[in-house]
Amino acid sequence: MKRANLVAILTDVHLWVPVVVLILGTVLLMTLR
Amino acid sequence: MSKTTTAGARATLRSGISLHKLGVFCGLSAAVWLGSAEAPTKLVNEGFSPFLISMGMVMGAFVARWTIPTLLKGTGFVFDDLKEKPHLMVWALVGGMLWAVANTLTIFAVRNVGLAIAFPLWNTNSLVGLFWGCLLFKELRGSRAKDWAKVIGGAAAIVSGAAVLAVATAQQNAGTPGKAAIGIIAALGAGVLLGTMYIPYRKAYISGMNPLSFVTIFTFGELGTVFVLGWIFYGGTGPLLAELNRARPMLFWPFVGGFCWVIGDLFQNYAAKYIGIGRGIPLSNTNQLWGLAWGALVFGEFVGLTTGSKLLILMGSIIMIAGAVSISMASPPPSEMTNWDAAMHRECDRYGLDRENVAAVVGGNDPLADNKHPRRWWEILIVCVASGIFVWLAVGTRAQHIYVNLPWMILLILGTIIPLGLCGTLLWRRTRFS
Repeated sequence: MKRANLVAILTDVHLWVPVVVLILGTVLLMTLR
Repeated sequence: MSKTTTAGARATLRSGISLHKLGVFCGLSAAVWLGSAEAPTKLVNEGFSPFLISMGMVMGAFVARWTIPTLLKGTGFVFDDLKEKPHLMVWALVGGMLWAVANTLTIFAVRNVGLAIAFPLWNTNSLVGLFWGCLLFKELRGSRAKDWAKVIGGAAAIVSGAAVLAVATAQQNAGTPGKAAIGIIAALGAGVLLGTMYIPYRKAYISGMNPLSFVTIFTFGELGTVFVLGWIFYGGTGPLLAELNRARPMLFWPFVGGFCWVIGDLFQNYAAKYIGIGRGIPLSNTNQLWGLAWGALVFGEFVGLTTGSKLLILMGSIIMIAGAVSISMASPPPSEMTNWDAAMHRECDRYGLDRENVAAVVGGNDPLADNKHPRRWWEILIVCVASGIFVWLAVGTRAQHIYVNLPWMILLILGTIIPLGLCGTLLWRRTRFS
């Protein structure tokens, strides 16, 4: 993958929204179990 | 003549159905198949944890998510599509991971507060999806007030209908007393995760990715996360494998459920592609109606229901259907489509995609769709291995002693297969499954 594409991915808000929700969801799951 | 124009002309010759109508049919067919996917799991005898049944469904889904795209388009098409937009594999994996965590949360929710409270809470995922669709992908922006009302009102009606249906069938699951708060938090969390999962869906489709390619990668995130969670919950690989081995005589049913689920999920993906997540996801969330039909008519689950409960079921179903009709009539006007195009151009500029080509694919006119992709020997192998797994599981399955109403079952199976045939044909004629 080109470096420009990698930077575009890592700075994309469309990635960070689901990633943050995923992290919070995983933390919630581990807390509830 | 440009590549796009040629593709557009070809598509017009293929079929005259509008993309909005096609997306609505896909959303409704998704509901039928996602609802019917619950039926095989009802054939599992008690004594197995819901997590294990869910894991069985995910394994069945993994098999199906490789087989169906291979059968429909071939691995050559899928690999070419992935090579063109490799960045989207990241989103497909994240989407699968979100689903796995959300699904595990729903299991906790049902255990603690029962299905009646949990289901409507996580059904709010369609509202979360609608929010993200509007915020990140400009869905509904530039739309008329009456379209906003139809979509938001319709989505709210579907969630309300789900709540009424869940309350009416509350006798099925009472939950665990004293753990209500945990269950409610888990259900709400699942709703947020599932609603957020539609961000990767929509991103992939406004970038011109084919839903068949997307689910092929999505399933790795899904299966990998489910195994990691299983490994944590069962305390290591040994106990997890031992539990799977113990469940071997019943694994066929969740596998069949997973297979039906993949068909429903594919229709849901096509709906997300052609009418967006704001309209498509609420439609596919009417799957509760079909799950209810299987439970009530085939498995006789609600024999002892009071007249009040039956009236509630009727009311909930009518509210849900009214919500679906409302969304179906909210076709996006040109002013909204301009915003859809702006969201698409953002992806093209950011990731160096060909604007004309992506616009053609998003419009259901994939220039590559009519091209013949040579079939490979390993495609036969994939199909044979998948079929072999199902046959192997079926052979070792113990007979289940569960009441089944055969005439209703035949009728519902027909009611499930007919939308598959009709919607599959429409998709093929209009888009060649692009």
